[in-house]
Amino acid sequence: MADERIDLPQGTLDLLILRTVALGPHHGWAISERLQQISAKVLQVQQGSLYPALHRLERRGWIKARWGASENNRRAKFYELTGSGRKQLEAEADAWRKLVAAVAQVLETA
Amino acid sequence: MLSDFLFRLRCLFRRKQVEGELDEELRSHLEHETEKYVKTGLSPEEATRRARIALGGVDQVKEECREARGVSLVESAARDVSYAVRILRRRPVFAVVAVLTLALGIGANTAMFSVMDVMLLRALPVKNPQELVEFIRWHPDGSMMTNLPYEVFQHLRENTTALSGIFALTSDSRVFRAGAGSERSTVHEVSGSFFSTLGVNALLGRTIDPNDDLPNAEHHVVVLSYPFWSRRFGRDPSVVGATVRVNGAPCTVIGVMPADFFGVDRSRLPDMWAPLGSDPGQVWVLGRLKPGVSIPQARAQLEPFFQRALESLRDGMKDWPAHERDAFLAEKLLVHRATTGTSGLRWYYWEYSNTLKIILGMTGLVLLIACVNLANLLLARSAARSQEIGIRMAIGAGRRRILRQLLTENLVLALSGGVVGLLVAAGGHRLLVTFLTGNLERVSLDFRLSGRLLGFSFAMSILTGLLSGELPALRAAREGFLPAMHGKLQLRGATRLPLARKLLTAQVALSLMLLVGAGLFVRSLRNLATTDLGLARENLVLMSVDPSLSKSIRDRREFWIQLTERLTALPGVRSVSLAGDAVFGYGGWNTTIWIRQPDGAEHDTHVPMNVVGPGFFETVQIPLLTGREFGRQDQGKSPPVAVVNRTFARRFFAGENPVGKRFGNSGAGSSSQIEIVGIIGDAKYGDLREQPQPMFYLPLFQNLEDRSYQVHVRTSGDPAAAIAAIRREIEAIDQDISIDRVRTIKEVIHSLLQHDRMFAFLASVFGLLALLLTSIGIYGVVAYQVTRRTGEIGIRMALGAQRTDVLWMVMRETLLVLAVGSAVGLPAAIAAAQVLRSLLYGLGPSDLPAIIWATATLAVAGALAGFLPARRAASLSPMDALRCE
Repeated sequence: MADERIDLPQGTLDLLILRTVALGPHHGWAISERLQQISAKVLQVQQGSLYPALHRLERRGWIKARWGASENNRRAKFYELTGSGRKQLEAEADAWRKLVAAVAQVLETA
Repeated sequence: MLSDFLFRLRCLFRRKQVEGELDEELRSHLEHETEKYVKTGLSPEEATRRARIALGGVDQVKEECREARGVSLVESAARDVSYAVRILRRRPVFAVVAVLTLALGIGANTAMFSVMDVMLLRALPVKNPQELVEFIRWHPDGSMMTNLPYEVFQHLRENTTALSGIFALTSDSRVFRAGAGSERSTVHEVSGSFFSTLGVNALLGRTIDPNDDLPNAEHHVVVLSYPFWSRRFGRDPSVVGATVRVNGAPCTVIGVMPADFFGVDRSRLPDMWAPLGSDPGQVWVLGRLKPGVSIPQARAQLEPFFQRALESLRDGMKDWPAHERDAFLAEKLLVHRATTGTSGLRWYYWEYSNTLKIILGMTGLVLLIACVNLANLLLARSAARSQEIGIRMAIGAGRRRILRQLLTENLVLALSGGVVGLLVAAGGHRLLVTFLTGNLERVSLDFRLSGRLLGFSFAMSILTGLLSGELPALRAAREGFLPAMHGKLQLRGATRLPLARKLLTAQVALSLMLLVGAGLFVRSLRNLATTDLGLARENLVLMSVDPSLSKSIRDRREFWIQLTERLTALPGVRSVSLAGDAVFGYGGWNTTIWIRQPDGAEHDTHVPMNVVGPGFFETVQIPLLTGREFGRQDQGKSPPVAVVNRTFARRFFAGENPVGKRFGNSGAGSSSQIEIVGIIGDAKYGDLREQPQPMFYLPLFQNLEDRSYQVHVRTSGDPAAAIAAIRREIEAIDQDISIDRVRTIKEVIHSLLQHDRMFAFLASVFGLLALLLTSIGIYGVVAYQVTRRTGEIGIRMALGAQRTDVLWMVMRETLLVLAVGSAVGLPAAIAAAQVLRSLLYGLGPSDLPAIIWATATLAVAGALAGFLPARRAASLSPMDALRCE
C-alpha cells in the first residue's frame, strides 16, 4: 500500500481542500480523513501541511472559519466555502481538467 | 484584497488570541487522530504516539501556519527589535557612545538641511505662493539686480494679461514715536496692491489698500507687524486707530498683521508697513501670475512694458557717460518664481557664494567619520560576540536571520541617534542662523519640525545604519561565525583585524581634512583681525546724527560746528570730526570723476569718495603724507579743494606730485575744477579684505546738505565710557536730534568678521569632533586587539620580551595607521581646500603652518589614544596573561 501512494502535485492541495469544504463545513481533521478516504489512500496528504494550507486559504478569503462542536462533542474549528471561494474552486477545477487533458493528449500522440 | 488585509491585521493585533486558537485547533486534531487509533485497538499511549508522528513536529506546523498567515515578517521584525534593545541595554556604554556619535553626525546634517530648507524651500505664508514671481533686471555685464526704478513698476502695472496682481515695496528706517520714547524702526513702504495681491488679511483692523496709497492722501497710515506690536504695545488691541508719529509726521495705526506674516523676505522683517507714496526711487517688484500663465509667457508679455519704462528714463540720463547709458537701456527683464519670497540671504549665501555648500561638505564629512567610527565599533563587537552568535547558529538560526538581526541592531542604534539628532539639529539650526544673519530677531528663519525635516532625518538615520552596519555584517557573513567559537588563542592575522585598520586609516584621513580646514580658517581669521586698516582701531567711536526732525535748528552749519565744539570740550574726548560716510565699514558712495590725461583728453572713471569735516584725518589717524588737511577756510564760497589718498595719486598722477593738480566731478569738461591740496595714506574703506583703491575727499562744509552725518570721536580712554556723556551732550542741544548706530571701530571689525568667525568656529568644532571620534576609534580597536592578543603577549614576555618591546609591538600598529592615514589625507585635504581659496585671507590652501598644526594635533591625539591600551598591555604580568587562556 505504501508504494501506491503518489505525492500530491504542487498546488493541488488547495484545490482539494476547496472541493472538500464545498460539500459542507468540515474541521481540519475531518478534511484530512476525507481526503484519505476519497482517494483510497492514494493521495499522500501530509497532515502537517494541511493546516498551513487552511490558514492560507482563510487569509485569501476563499474559506471562512468558525468554532463549533465536532461529532464527539469536542470543540473544533470548522471551515466552509465562501462565495469567492466557490468561484475560485470552479476556476481552479477548470484549469486542472484542461491541464490533465493536455498532458494526456501529449502522452497519446508524442 | 480587503479580507486579506483585515485578516493580517487581526493576526497582528490579536496575536495571543490567534495563537491560542491555533494551539487549540492542533490539539483538537491530535485528539481526533488519537481517538481514531484507539478505535483500531491501540493503547492510548501508542495511539497518541502515532498521532503525533502523523502530524509531524507540532512546533514546525505552528511555524508554517504562522508563515502562511503572512505576518511573520512583521512579527519577526518586532522580535528582532526587542532583542536588539535588550542586547544594547546590556552594554550601556557602547550604546550611549554609538547613539551620541550618530546623533552628532545626523544632527549636524539635519541642521544644515533645515537651514537650507527654510532659506530655499519654505513657501511664503500667503495665498497660493507658487503663483508669485519676482522681477529682476539683467545688466549686460551679467549682473542681476532686484532694485528696479519706480517707473518700471508703473509701466508693468499697465499689463493685465499675464498678472493678476503686482506690487512694489522698499525698505526704510524711520523714527517711530508713540507716547514716551522714540526708536528707530524698519518700515516697509508698499504699494496699495501689496496685501491684496498676497491675499492676506490683518489680524486686527485692516490692511493698506489702494486708497491709502494715493499721492495726496490726507491721512498717513501704518500697519504694524505682530512682533513689533507685541514688543512695543504689549499686544494691546486698542492701538488700532491710535495716532503715532513716524519721522515726526502723524500716522494712524489701521491694523496689525498675524504672527506668521512677515512680508516677502525672510531675511528682512519690518516693524510696520506704510504706503509707498510718491516717487520712492528704487523698489522691489513682485507679482502674481494669472492661472495658466507660465514664466516664459509672462516674461515675453512684460518685456515690452519694461523697455518702455527704460526709454522713459532716457531724458534723465543726459549726464551719464555714454557707455553707461547704453548699458542701462540694454537691460533685460527677468522673471523668477518667488514661492519662497525674495531673499537677500538666498542670493548671498547660495547663488553668489559657496558658503552653504562648504558647510554642507563639512557636515557630510563629519557624518562619514561617524559612520566609519560606528562601523569599527560594531566590527569589534561582533567579533566579541562570536560565541553568542555561534550558539544561535548551532540551534538552527539561518545565516540570513542572524544578519537580519545584526542589521536590526544597527537600525535601532541609528534611529535612536536620529531622534537625539533632532535635538542637536534644533540647536545647530539656531546657531547657524545666528551666524549667517547675525541676529535672530529680524529674520523669520525659525526651526520647524516639518514632515520634510522628519523625513530627511529618518532617511539619514536609515542610511547611516545601513552604511555602518553593512561592513561588519558582510564580513561576518563571509567569514562565518563557527571558527570563533573554538578557543580564543589565535595567532593568525585574524586578530589583527585588517579591515578595522583600513577603516581607522580612512578616519584619520577624513579627520585630517577637517583639521586642516579648521587650521586654515583660524589662521585666516587671525590675519583678518590683525590686518592693517590704515586708520585708528582703538578709541574711535562713530555715530549717525540726524537733526532733520528738530525744528529748532535753523542754521545747519552753525549746528554742526557747535556740536563739534561741545563734544571736543568733554573730558576724555581728544578730537571730533564729521563725515558723510563712516571712515570704515559698510562702504560708501562711488562717484564718477573726470581727469585730464597727459595728452589733453579727458578720461572719466569711477572712484569712491567721502565728504569730511576739518581735522578729520587727524581724528581717525590716517597719516597725512603731503600738503594739508581741510580746515576752517574750506567753506561754501572758497575754492573747491580735495584731499586724495596715495593710490589715487599714483594711479592718476603717476610719478608727479598731485598737490596743486586738478580734477572734476560734475560732468565732462569739469576736469579743472577741484584742486588737490593734500595726500593721505591708504586706508581700508568698506571691508577688511579690500585692496587699496583710489579715494578722494571733499570738504564737508563746502558741500553741506540737509541730512544726517557720521560723527567720529576719538577718545583718550575706553570709548564705551564716553558714549553716555556724548549722548547727553547732543541731546542737550535738542531732544529731537536722532542718534543712531553708535559703534566703535572695534565693534565694526567684529561684526565684519562674523562670517569668518563662523567658519573658523564650525570648522574647529567639526575638526575637534572628528579628532575625538578618531581617537575613540583608535583606542577601541587597539584595546580590543590587546585583549585578543593577551595570550600572545604572555608568551612573548615569558620568552624574554621586555615591557618596551611589548609597548612598541602594540604602538607600531597605531603609528602605522596614523602615518598612512596622514599620507592619504594630506593631499586630499589640500585638494579639498582649493574650494576655500576665496574665503581665505593672507594665506593659500596649502599654508604650511596650518598643515603642520593639523597633522601634529592628529598625531599626538592618535598616539595618545593608542598609547593608553598599549601601556596596559606592557604592564601585564606574563603569568596572568597566560592564565587568561
